[in-house]
Amino acid sequence: MITDPQNVNPVKGGFVDPRALMSIRHLEMRARVVVEGFWNGLHRSPFHGFSVEFTEYRQYTPGDDPRYLDWGLYGRSDRYYIRKFEDETNLRCQLVVDRSKSMTYGTGSITKDKYASTLAATLAYFLHSQGDAVGLLTFDERVREYLPPRHKLSHLRQLMLALEKPAEGKATSLTDPLDHLVELVRRRGMFVYISDFLAPIERLEASLLALIAGRHEVAVIQVLDPNELALKFEGASLFEDIESGQTLYIEPAAARKAYVPKIAAHNAAVRRTCEKLGVSYLQLTTDQPLENVLFNFVKERQRRGRPGTVSRNPGRA
Amino acid sequence: MSFLTPFFLFGALAIAAPLIYHLIKRTTRERTIFSSLMFLLPSPPRLSRKNKLEDLLLLLLRCLALALLAFGFSRPFVRSTAAVEAPTGQTRRVVVLVDRSASMRRAGMWAEASDRALAQARGASPADQFALYGFSTQATPLVSFEEWRNTPVSARTDKVAAVLGATAPEWGSTRLGAALITAAEALADATKDEPAAAIRQIVLISDLQSGAEISALQSFDWPKGVQLKIESIKAKNVTNAGLQLLVEAPDAEAASTTAAVRVRLTNAADSLKDQFQVGWTRPGSETFIGKPVDQYVPAGQARVVNVPVPEGQADLQQITLKGDDEAFDNVVYAVPPEKQQVPIAYLGSELPTAITQPLYFFRNFLKGREGPRLAFDLTARAPGAVSAAELLAAKVIFATELPAGATAEELRRQMLAGKTVVFAPTSAAAAAGLAQLLGLPSVPLTDVNPSAATGARVSAGSGYAMIGEIDFRHPLFAEFADPLYSDFTKINISKYRRLGADAIPGARILARFDQGDPAVVEVPAASGRLILMLTTWSREDSNLAQIISKFVPLLYGMLDLGGAIPAQVVQYSVNDPIPLALVAPAGEAVSVAPPDGPAEAVAAGTATFARTRQPGIYRLTAGARTARVSVNLDVAESRTSPMPMDLLERYGAPGEAKTVDATRESKREALLQSNEAEGRQKLWRWFIVGTLLVLLIETAIAGWTARRNAATVSTGGTTS
Repeated sequence: MITDPQNVNPVKGGFVDPRALMSIRHLEMRARVVVEGFWNGLHRSPFHGFSVEFTEYRQYTPGDDPRYLDWGLYGRSDRYYIRKFEDETNLRCQLVVDRSKSMTYGTGSITKDKYASTLAATLAYFLHSQGDAVGLLTFDERVREYLPPRHKLSHLRQLMLALEKPAEGKATSLTDPLDHLVELVRRRGMFVYISDFLAPIERLEASLLALIAGRHEVAVIQVLDPNELALKFEGASLFEDIESGQTLYIEPAAARKAYVPKIAAHNAAVRRTCEKLGVSYLQLTTDQPLENVLFNFVKERQRRGRPGTVSRNPGRA
Repeated sequence: MSFLTPFFLFGALAIAAPLIYHLIKRTTRERTIFSSLMFLLPSPPRLSRKNKLEDLLLLLLRCLALALLAFGFSRPFVRSTAAVEAPTGQTRRVVVLVDRSASMRRAGMWAEASDRALAQARGASPADQFALYGFSTQATPLVSFEEWRNTPVSARTDKVAAVLGATAPEWGSTRLGAALITAAEALADATKDEPAAAIRQIVLISDLQSGAEISALQSFDWPKGVQLKIESIKAKNVTNAGLQLLVEAPDAEAASTTAAVRVRLTNAADSLKDQFQVGWTRPGSETFIGKPVDQYVPAGQARVVNVPVPEGQADLQQITLKGDDEAFDNVVYAVPPEKQQVPIAYLGSELPTAITQPLYFFRNFLKGREGPRLAFDLTARAPGAVSAAELLAAKVIFATELPAGATAEELRRQMLAGKTVVFAPTSAAAAAGLAQLLGLPSVPLTDVNPSAATGARVSAGSGYAMIGEIDFRHPLFAEFADPLYSDFTKINISKYRRLGADAIPGARILARFDQGDPAVVEVPAASGRLILMLTTWSREDSNLAQIISKFVPLLYGMLDLGGAIPAQVVQYSVNDPIPLALVAPAGEAVSVAPPDGPAEAVAAGTATFARTRQPGIYRLTAGARTARVSVNLDVAESRTSPMPMDLLERYGAPGEAKTVDATRESKREALLQSNEAEGRQKLWRWFIVGTLLVLLIETAIAGWTARRNAATVSTGGTTS
């Protein structure tokens, strides 16, 4: 289970400040900055070298690819052996990103949408650099864009372009995209579900369960603005719902008492749902460094005991 | 207290507006965009410190100043006593005009009309002037203005109810135009000596049938201020067909062998039925006598039906229609044509075959006049050969020669008893017989041959006399009174008999020859009369028999004078006067028997009988002559479909919309009175003075408060 990254991350001080990061206009560049920083961090980390996963030797039989012959062993034993590795590109990761209008909310220059896009781009870049196939699905009240997982540079570019489109959805349906994906994706893979989860979650459990049942691995990342957790406003005003346009007269000082427990309960419900299904859950606020996410992501993957699915490019080991 | 311009009072509301705005203001202009309101609850408005009212006294003073200002501008005044006493309700002068025409006899119509009229009476206030008129052919007051005024207020409604209860629809036609004029005039007349009423109104309660006669309104200048309120009564049964008796066409009469009566069957435009039966019935019985005629008449159309007269039935008098809903116009009264044998006696020794002699022409004349209803029984005898019985039977006695002795006495007796004797002597030798007939010692009679006589008209070598001076007022010559027929110059008279001047006392000379000698003389003799023609229609005397346009009407007139010609089928509408000349051409006394009552005697000299109030057969008797006259409903009464609603307005009768005028006038007057009162009182000045006073006090208090606050601050005190 993921613990609060801010408390456990030992290398927090070396990470890029989100505000500085978001000032980089190009999304791919932002992703690259995060991933590079992450690698730099890893070199100093205790997890160095985990990525090359040798499994076994087996005797060469005619028809095998001679590229995989272990010439060193042949030198030592005068026999042909083939080095067998765990398949390094068998991870098919589908990023599911909420592009509804509620995601465009943000205090200061960092909106949740920008943060989530950068996060998705970072993960995509990271996974691509590992040789994994990455796909993207964006949604609001319905599925907007779908790119199937592929390991191609041009595909990554396309994915970045899709993430750079502005969020326009009027409402959020948390379950429809998942139901859609269950139908679309037959091959086993991984889903990273990025949303603010500020919508009714009654059917969320059923939808997640359908994914789990398909033997997919699911990770849920909830992106929130700090203000959404604490309602730190001053003075009474008309609060307008960014999606529906509905207005309410709110005095924050009075409303906060009721609001904070409510949203905490909602988030706890999301978390509980994930725990119940064995889905990894991570809550982020837009003021947290993105490297933490990557760090926690990798750590979580390793903890789950499938290290081979997240491996470094052998060339970089 | 009243206000001349009360709308300014709304200005006082200005006090409340900022106060209310200040108190209820809770929304803020600031808007905060937020990702989701799903966890937020609306906050209740809080009474902040800003919302609290401070300096209540000042606020109240300022409000008071505004209120006083508003009152001042609304120009208040106190109504004077005179103004209070001004009439609030308006007196009305109402004529309620109730339709009593025959069409109101339809089921339930009269009861409803009575109820509505009574409701009008109940609705009248004690100050109102009220009159109730009923109308059909003409409008008559049932309750006049005077009766209404003289009746105690509490008994007025009862009186109207009693009058209505005793009234029933008549059989007359609907002369609506004339009735409205009568009512309008009644309204105008009564206004002269009574207090002027604010509203003058005619309330018309009628079925407004399309057969109503309203053309009289066309030439009527509707008096100003008189309004017409229409209460239309709807019929429960819409199907109605009516009958109209038609006068037979002479040609048809001559051609047909079987007698029939022609009626026109009219079906109302809104009828639902179109199959009817028409036939003869007896009064009070529904069964047809003989076979009825089945007739199909579509709604809004009419058909002429020949109703054959059943043979062997005496005293038939009515034709009934069956098949429609309303019975009031289903009976038409008709006197069936009867063939009459009229005995005529002719005294003269000519042979019937002598084609130049009077008898030949006379016989031909009679033959030409016969038809299905009339036949002549001519008894031509030599003067001495005629029997007393023959003389008695004859309706009219024509003679060219007069008998002598006992027969002559008998002839004189018959004449005195009422017979008409037409005597045209062929020669002056008849003078003795004439004297005997008239009971005179002698009558000077000489033969005249105009061609030889001095002063006779000589034309183209042959002399003849002409008929000159004619008394066209006499029934005998009345037919010729029209200039078209009054030319007698074609009659050339070769020979005539000259009657001595004043030879016969009491004789009336009806025509003279152009020489001045009498040509036709009427001699009254007790109940009968003698018509003395001083020339004959034989070829030897004149060419009269060849001038058919004069000969036939002249002889026919003589037969008619003698009562030998039965009366024509004539009919009249209800309330139409029946001319009594039908039976009494000379203005004798007549007895008229209406269908339902005892015979009424009409004095001699009366021209018409006007009391034809109900349909039926009226029997006229004058001496030996009788006539049966059918009086029927006006055919327009059968047109019961409603008339177009705007028809009356098109004829100039104002609708109710114009009633506004009177109300507007009174309102204007009230406004003038108010203006005057306000101008006298000028209360607004006091309100302005009050405003200024309040503002002075307010300024003083505000200044004092400000000074006190300043003093508190300077002494180091703090205010929150």
